[in-house]
Amino acid sequence: MKPILRAVNLEKVYESEGVKTPALRGVDLEVAPGEFTAIAGPSGSGKSTLLHLLGCLDTPTAGETWLGERRTDQLDAVARANLRLREVGFVFQAYNLIPVLTALENAAFVLELRGVPKKERHEKAMAALEALGIADLAHRRPNQLSGGQQQRVAVARALAAEPRVVLADEPTANLDSKSGLALIELMKQLNAERGITFLFSTHDPRLLEHVNRIVRLEDGRVVADERVA
Amino acid sequence: MWALAWRNVWRHKGRSLVAGGAVAAVVVFTLVFFGFVSATKTGMVEVLTSESGHLQVTHARAKEAQDFDARLIREAAEVEAALLKALPGAHLRRVLEVPALVSGESRSRGAVVIGVAQDEALAERFGREYLAAGRLPAPGSWDEIALGEALAKALNVELGDPVYVFAPGTEGWGAAAYTLVGLLDFPQSAYEIQAAFLSLEGAQELAAPGAVTRFEVHLDPERGVVTDARIEEARDRAAAALGPDVRVETWREASPDTAAILDLMDPAMVVFSFFIFILAGLLVVNTIYLGLVERIREFGVIIAVGAHRGRVMRMVLAESLVLVLAGTAVGLLVSGLLIASWADGLHFPQLDEVLAEYGFPAVLYPSVTAGQVAITVGYAIVTALAAALWPAWVAGRLEPVEAMRHVA
Repeated sequence: MKPILRAVNLEKVYESEGVKTPALRGVDLEVAPGEFTAIAGPSGSGKSTLLHLLGCLDTPTAGETWLGERRTDQLDAVARANLRLREVGFVFQAYNLIPVLTALENAAFVLELRGVPKKERHEKAMAALEALGIADLAHRRPNQLSGGQQQRVAVARALAAEPRVVLADEPTANLDSKSGLALIELMKQLNAERGITFLFSTHDPRLLEHVNRIVRLEDGRVVADERVA
Repeated sequence: MWALAWRNVWRHKGRSLVAGGAVAAVVVFTLVFFGFVSATKTGMVEVLTSESGHLQVTHARAKEAQDFDARLIREAAEVEAALLKALPGAHLRRVLEVPALVSGESRSRGAVVIGVAQDEALAERFGREYLAAGRLPAPGSWDEIALGEALAKALNVELGDPVYVFAPGTEGWGAAAYTLVGLLDFPQSAYEIQAAFLSLEGAQELAAPGAVTRFEVHLDPERGVVTDARIEEARDRAAAALGPDVRVETWREASPDTAAILDLMDPAMVVFSFFIFILAGLLVVNTIYLGLVERIREFGVIIAVGAHRGRVMRMVLAESLVLVLAGTAVGLLVSGLLIASWADGLHFPQLDEVLAEYGFPAVLYPSVTAGQVAITVGYAIVTALAAALWPAWVAGRLEPVEAMRHVA
């Protein structure tokens, strides 16, 4: 099966005030469609950078990134924005919901950016909220939701747009262990039921028990790639 | 996008209320000012035309002439008949102005003796506006005179006293004695100190039998609004009927300096309000930019999930538009109510004399035109867009990864 995400000898060097800080040092990675993969590693190992590059949020210093059949590292900002809008769902560590929108409106936000008519996008967003078990909270604003509920809304936002792949950067980092575990199980369930590809970063070893594959990063290099039964 | 913009604007109520309130205040100020300028302009034109007519008919060379007799329209009756035929319904004031020496029993002073014949409506209005004591000389009288109060005071004469007028070198008697029957109070003190009024017939006997120096034509407002176009059309008709020996001028042509000042009022107001809007725009810039800085991470997320830079910029512009248009709506409502409350006229009795001295109307009727409202709303929209340009440009250039890491 052809990979849906691919990194080829990927390098990223951040430069600030003349100081160069390498974040990735030649990462090779392939993610097949339908995989439920965790990128594990300590802080500063390059997990977030790898997700950002694969998700077209940033461009690499060297190497290649691919989304399906399309090479993405050389695309301009507009093309990358289009890819993010159409094919990638994001879940961020700090929920990052828009505080003035309700849960339903947040979940529908990406669809709104795509220009989907209001009725249709609200139907899809509500379906995503239902799938995540928070349909009854649809009309609450983020400040009326717990951290776990907000992160579910963030996942609903990513899923409602029906992306080819969902990238989640430390999605459980701000949650207590119970909520974090519940969220991972929910994501795994969606992966199993809908075949959605999930690639998420974490440094919480308890969550790694629930994934199919663990890619371990250290100092910007892949040091292990384990398949879990 | 608009609903999101509306909610974002109200995230910081205090700040938005200050900026929106400033816009509302500027809109109120602008429209009220427009209303006052229009009222002043209309009032000044009314004052001017009620004093000197919409049209003035003089001898063709009156402006260049040095001598009194060169300014005379000698066939006054024929010209009057032709005028009335060309402009049916117009009210005429026939005027003969004679430079003269006016004396009481003990004092003399140079003055302009003005013989006036006018129809009842104009005479009634003239008396109502300027007569301070006594009455106007009776039509056709040869021995009655009315003086400006200041002139009477200078001559030390009172009602009933004899007044002597000397007009040497003219074509009439050149000198005559009159009884002072009326005192006139003119707003312009310079005019009041030199104005002496006779009947036209009295002035003609004194200086120029059968002649006038000027016809003032007052168009009938009951036949339609007296617009510039109507005045110009009347001028053309009168000029065609009267021939080349006389000059027919609109009030604008007769008083070009005043007309130029009046014409400058609207453009000056447009420019002035533009600068006022710039001040309000600075507050809007501040509000929108602070809103952006406080939400850099949020904009980062919006860009990360796929919003194009153009979309992000439109979001910022929308917030500015929502804020400014909300303020504009409030401003329109308040200014509409204010102007409506002044529909019966705005009068400052304590300023009557000062206003009249400079030709301003005593009562103002502020009103605004659709064009002035459109200009104000247009300025508001331009202010909103201009104020948001820089914040929108900044937002549009945010890099998603950096923006999401931003710490305010």
